[in-house]
Amino acid sequence: MNIDAAYLVPLPVVIPLVTAGLTLALWRVPKLQRLFAVAALALMVVVGATLLVAADSGALVMHLGGWDAPLGISLVVDRLSALMLTVSAFVLLCVLLYSLGQDIADGAAEAPVTIYYPTYLILAAGVSNAFIAGDLFNLYVGFEILLAASYVLLTLGGTGERIRAGAIYVVVALVSSVIFLTGLAVTYAATGTINLAHLAQRLPEIDPGVSLAIQVLLLLAFGIKAAIFPLSAWLPDSYPTAPAPVTAVFAGLLTKVGVYAIMRTQTLLFTETRLDNLLMILALATMILGILGAVAQSDIKRLLSFTLVSHIGYMVFGIALSTRTGMAGAVFYIIHHIMVQTTLFLVVGLIERRGGTTNLDRLGGLAKASPGLAILFFIPAMSLAGIPPLSGFLGKLGLLQAGVQFDEPLTWVLVAGAIVTSLLTLYAVVKAWNKAFWQAPTIELPQERLPRTMVFPTGMMLVAVLGLTFVAGPVYGYATRAADELMDPSVYITNVLGGTS
Amino acid sequence: MLQLLALHLVLALAAPTVFRYVGRRAFAILALAPASVVAYAVSITDQVRSGTAVTQAYSWMPDLGVDLTFRIDTLSWIMLFIVGGIGALVLIYCSGYFSAKATGSGRFGAVFVAFAGAMAGLVTAENTIVMFVFWELTTVFSYLLIGHYSDRKPSRRAAMQAIVITTAGGLAMLVGLIILGESVPGGYELATLLAAAPQSTAVNVALVCLLVGAASKSALVPLHFWLPAAMAAPTPVSSYLHAAAMVKAGVYLVARFAPTYGGELIWQILVLTLGLATFLLGGYRALRQHDLKLVLAYGTVSQLGMLIVLVGTGTKSAALAGVAMLCAHAMFKAALFLTTGAVDVIAGTRDLRRLSGVGRRVPSLAWAGGLATASMIGLPVTAGYVAKEAALEAFAHDGVPGAATWVGPLVFTVLVIGSAMTAAYGIRFWWGAFATKKSTPSAVVADSDEDLACIDPATIRRPSWLLSLPPLALAIAGVVLGFFPGWFESLVQPHAAQYSIGHEGHLTLWAGISPALIGTVIALTAGFGLFLARNHVERFQLRIGGKVEADYLYRRMMRKLDDVAADVTALTQRGSLPLYVGVIFSTFVIAAGIAVVMSPWPDRVRLWDSPAQIIPVAIICIAVILAVRSRRRLKAVLLAGFGGYAVAALFVLHGAPDLALTQVLVETITLVVLVLVLRKLPPYFSDRPLLRSRWSRLAIAIAAGVVMMGLALVASGARIHLPVSHQIADLIYEYGGGRNIVNVILVDTRAWDTMGEISVLLVAATGIASLVFLRRRTSNLERVGDLGGEATSQVWATETVTDRGAALRRRAEAAITKADPQRPTWLRAGRTLAPQRRSLVFEVVTRLVFHPIVLFAAFLLFSGHNNPGGGFAAGLIVGIALTIRYLAGGRYELAEALPVQPGLLLGLGLVLSVGTGVAGLITEGAMLQSTIWHFDLPIFGDVKMVSSWFFDVGVFLVVVGLVLDVLHSLGAEIDKQGEVQP
Repeated sequence: MNIDAAYLVPLPVVIPLVTAGLTLALWRVPKLQRLFAVAALALMVVVGATLLVAADSGALVMHLGGWDAPLGISLVVDRLSALMLTVSAFVLLCVLLYSLGQDIADGAAEAPVTIYYPTYLILAAGVSNAFIAGDLFNLYVGFEILLAASYVLLTLGGTGERIRAGAIYVVVALVSSVIFLTGLAVTYAATGTINLAHLAQRLPEIDPGVSLAIQVLLLLAFGIKAAIFPLSAWLPDSYPTAPAPVTAVFAGLLTKVGVYAIMRTQTLLFTETRLDNLLMILALATMILGILGAVAQSDIKRLLSFTLVSHIGYMVFGIALSTRTGMAGAVFYIIHHIMVQTTLFLVVGLIERRGGTTNLDRLGGLAKASPGLAILFFIPAMSLAGIPPLSGFLGKLGLLQAGVQFDEPLTWVLVAGAIVTSLLTLYAVVKAWNKAFWQAPTIELPQERLPRTMVFPTGMMLVAVLGLTFVAGPVYGYATRAADELMDPSVYITNVLGGTS
Repeated sequence: MLQLLALHLVLALAAPTVFRYVGRRAFAILALAPASVVAYAVSITDQVRSGTAVTQAYSWMPDLGVDLTFRIDTLSWIMLFIVGGIGALVLIYCSGYFSAKATGSGRFGAVFVAFAGAMAGLVTAENTIVMFVFWELTTVFSYLLIGHYSDRKPSRRAAMQAIVITTAGGLAMLVGLIILGESVPGGYELATLLAAAPQSTAVNVALVCLLVGAASKSALVPLHFWLPAAMAAPTPVSSYLHAAAMVKAGVYLVARFAPTYGGELIWQILVLTLGLATFLLGGYRALRQHDLKLVLAYGTVSQLGMLIVLVGTGTKSAALAGVAMLCAHAMFKAALFLTTGAVDVIAGTRDLRRLSGVGRRVPSLAWAGGLATASMIGLPVTAGYVAKEAALEAFAHDGVPGAATWVGPLVFTVLVIGSAMTAAYGIRFWWGAFATKKSTPSAVVADSDEDLACIDPATIRRPSWLLSLPPLALAIAGVVLGFFPGWFESLVQPHAAQYSIGHEGHLTLWAGISPALIGTVIALTAGFGLFLARNHVERFQLRIGGKVEADYLYRRMMRKLDDVAADVTALTQRGSLPLYVGVIFSTFVIAAGIAVVMSPWPDRVRLWDSPAQIIPVAIICIAVILAVRSRRRLKAVLLAGFGGYAVAALFVLHGAPDLALTQVLVETITLVVLVLVLRKLPPYFSDRPLLRSRWSRLAIAIAAGVVMMGLALVASGARIHLPVSHQIADLIYEYGGGRNIVNVILVDTRAWDTMGEISVLLVAATGIASLVFLRRRTSNLERVGDLGGEATSQVWATETVTDRGAALRRRAEAAITKADPQRPTWLRAGRTLAPQRRSLVFEVVTRLVFHPIVLFAAFLLFSGHNNPGGGFAAGLIVGIALTIRYLAGGRYELAEALPVQPGLLLGLGLVLSVGTGVAGLITEGAMLQSTIWHFDLPIFGDVKMVSSWFFDVGVFLVVVGLVLDVLHSLGAEIDKQGEVQP
């Protein structure tokens, strides 16, 4: 274990929290708020990258307050966590720059800046906390942090539409929290511990029925967050109403936290009873029903929200295969999907600005009016549709390979489902492109140029999306090594609890 | 190879800029990229012809078996010439085709070059996945090219159709490639895969998948219809993508796999039926088209069918003919399209009924078209002729290996019939484009709303050499190749040699009177006959042509898909929160219920620890039932509060005073907050629109409750381990430095959780403020001093409509005399209240208890580590003290009580708590690790100080900040918004 790097483990949470406190205290000085917020997220990217390198030579563990596991809380950064931390920090930074650019462009009229930054930073802290938690209750706390922050961000501006959408979102999220909390209570009652590593040792020893109950409760709680069918209907109703940067970061990160939690608990805690077949069927339903939803939309924000739901099915498929290749594919797909969905929602923000609406029936002519915007949309859209050599294809390729290797009737069905979903995704985004970018505009386009301060961060995301193709080899290698770690929970347990206990 | 592809990419990226500076001449610069491909192909001629393939490899994604490997053997080499040569010529042609003023040429050029690059990659990739990458790239670029005239609806629709159909096939092919790739180690490399030639059911499935891919790309029946529709693209695109290059990808794929798998039964059935059906259908349809491009498009469809049959059958002789035909077709079809484009540009129409006199006026184009047509219909001494002879000869001689004996002659016959149709539409094309016709329309078509009058030959402009030279060059090349059949054969023969079945075929001009020659003669004669009878043929086709065409089916299917999508989504996406929550809880009941049933039931269930517990439980039950049934909001809130206090009682009975204290305080603050909120809400819940579903909701609720109980029972029965908490009690004092186990857990053992939770509090506070203040973070603090000595008595002056107590108070109003502004009051802001809102008793009590309460809170804060209390409880108590001040004296009084912005308290509190943790990280080596100091103080004696106390102070500040924020926003700000402005 690398002692020096372990010091960094709590920082992805500590940095944004301290900065959130500072920015809130500095409510009178928006310039300092911005500076601190950007600096904090940039620092998180650096810390994330350092952890990424360090975790490749063994997981990093910190026992908080010096209380050894399983008494205190352990923070664990293994390859998967490090990967998620880095990617999410980068995405958070880009989105922050985007909203900052929007503030500058609009003279800060749109968002109540003074609370935006602290809330956003706390969201960042919550997401990071969920990724490094080595303790089931702390994972819950991470969820609570990010959810509470997301309630605020979703209802920014307090328009009627946002409040209505917020009501759905908040109530469903609370239900998921209640179920998670129930799961925690049942877990502690049945096993007497909530440290993940310790649970991994104890759960196989208790009665399988109760273990199944715990698994089901956790899957339900995470499944709601990750938007897996039939628990997914809330998402397309609530995400699209928020301001563009907020939707972008929600779409990119929040559902993935749920997927991460499923991945972590399924591989670490429930190695013997995986419920894989059930998960596969749910993955299939999520993919197909989600993408049918996307096909039926005429609003580009809603369309993208449905593709978001649909592609969660891919990741669940990878997890449900519970093979090394399947897990690696799912890990890679998570990274891809975070980047691509975020980029697309940011671009939609630009489309709304340039075209005056997100309704596909009224949009038009953007390819001629704004070729740069066309490129910004086309490439991530193709990546989403799994067009090679973009990252969406590479992730899909890994998953399909894993599915074919598995060679069971059900996985063949899943492979076919994944193919159909991919095709329909293409159909949906091409339809959107045909309308928004090609058809003659039905309304006069505003003659405004897009502010560079917003285009630049979107461009950064685009470069990252493209870059993922070029560094696909190393990234996929890392994802595979992360999958190796996931598939062998004993390493995790030894890292946290030490060689003995 | 990679460098060549990079060159394409660079030129594509630079294209828009280049066009801005040099205009349409930039096409010639872009032509450098495909030209360099030709140059490269020439440079490796010796190596390829000596039989050693040129290979290159770069690592990309070894974990997936995907590396950038390229391998150029004879087939790839030939394809490179086609892709590069025709690409360069077409680009040069483009600089004459597009008008100098045309917009979007830069974009077009960029995509075109990118396409050429993808095509070159496709035919040289050795890794099957890399090949698929290029395959799909060609699809995407072709989508953009077909949709070039994006403001035209047919263009957009054709583009979408093309990308959907070809990607559908492409994805099937991907599955096929993956199955093959996983069937042998290293199976993603073509050479390895084909050498291993795995055989299994899965492999057969894979082969079908591959053929589906090839069929979609090469426009085979029944997926052929996208190709004619794609004629909406600019003609250079049709010429390059839809004649020479992209549609050949399917043929290329089949030619790659046929040497190994050509003998498989399923392969043969598919290749022969699809290929021959396409050959016939394409030719048949071409006979009745009026648009020259459509004639050529259906012709292309037809020829692609033949090519697939030739390269896919699996015999050496057929393959030889196939590759020769591939070359010939690329040249003559590209030439024909380019000619058509030129005719379109100079004459302004492509309708063969209207064109007249073009040949006489522009002989160069007529020659180009004529030579190319000759090659297409297989007139002697052209490349097309030698290839077709070889094809007929192959089937006459070898038949179809492994199939029944009648199959060979059948294929032969079909080829002859198809060739006859080829000849017919070929002649019709040339006649239509170049002949001089009488002005009367050919009189077949009844709908006369089209203008079918022939154009006046005098209006035809002369084309620039850029338009006429490229097609002429291609057409002549096609003829010249036919003059040297031996040399031609030596070029293509190495590929045919890879096939293992049948005898070697030959390309010759004269092989004596053979069945092939007879077949050719019959085909040409019949073709000429069909041409003469062209009007009858058209009329016949119109009469029997049914509605059921593939294109029609496709549109029906897509519309159906849209409908199904809309229906399904309407079903799952109701937009109804009760439904969503109902679904979630139903899932919970089913999933968790099954788990509960599967768990062992505890042997003995203890119902209570002490009978006293029954009372609070009963209160909770009753309160909850009444709360759910209540229609008045306030009642529901109060009842829920009852439940909360009863829970606190349960905690007391369990011996947890800390928890009980916290619970009571939280419940109190919550009630206050809710009551403040309720002021702005209607007093009653809305009418019950959900009345009808109430029973199902009730059922779900009860079931969920029962399952929850079951969970609690089985869970506690399942424990076989000691809980971790049994070790904690001693450590709390030794290591945590406190005697209050709850507090030490909160601020030390699990301080990280607490840190997270206070950030939740902070966010909750800001969230409430953001909803109330919307645009600003907070209003400025308004203190009594700001009022400038004037006694304004307007706080809470207005009655809300819903305030039922108002009537009672108003009676007392008269009794209250106006207060003297100078006289001291119990509360500093007392005078700001509306007189009828003041209560002397309340003011006095507040004045008396406020400071003791704050002092008590301070005590709790300091003693929390060892006795009940702590930062959280202390903060809540201060919060309650502030609430009292606010309720007694209004918003000015609140500002007087604690004149700071809540944001400052919240922010500083969080920074303090997290900062304490970081200090632990720096000094002790672990985040939140605490330090214990001992020191002597004069009065208190030996004092033990634990660093986690500072953490607790942070918690305290955040909680105070939260309550203050709530009072500011839900209290003061709403008051202010409701006040009547004087």
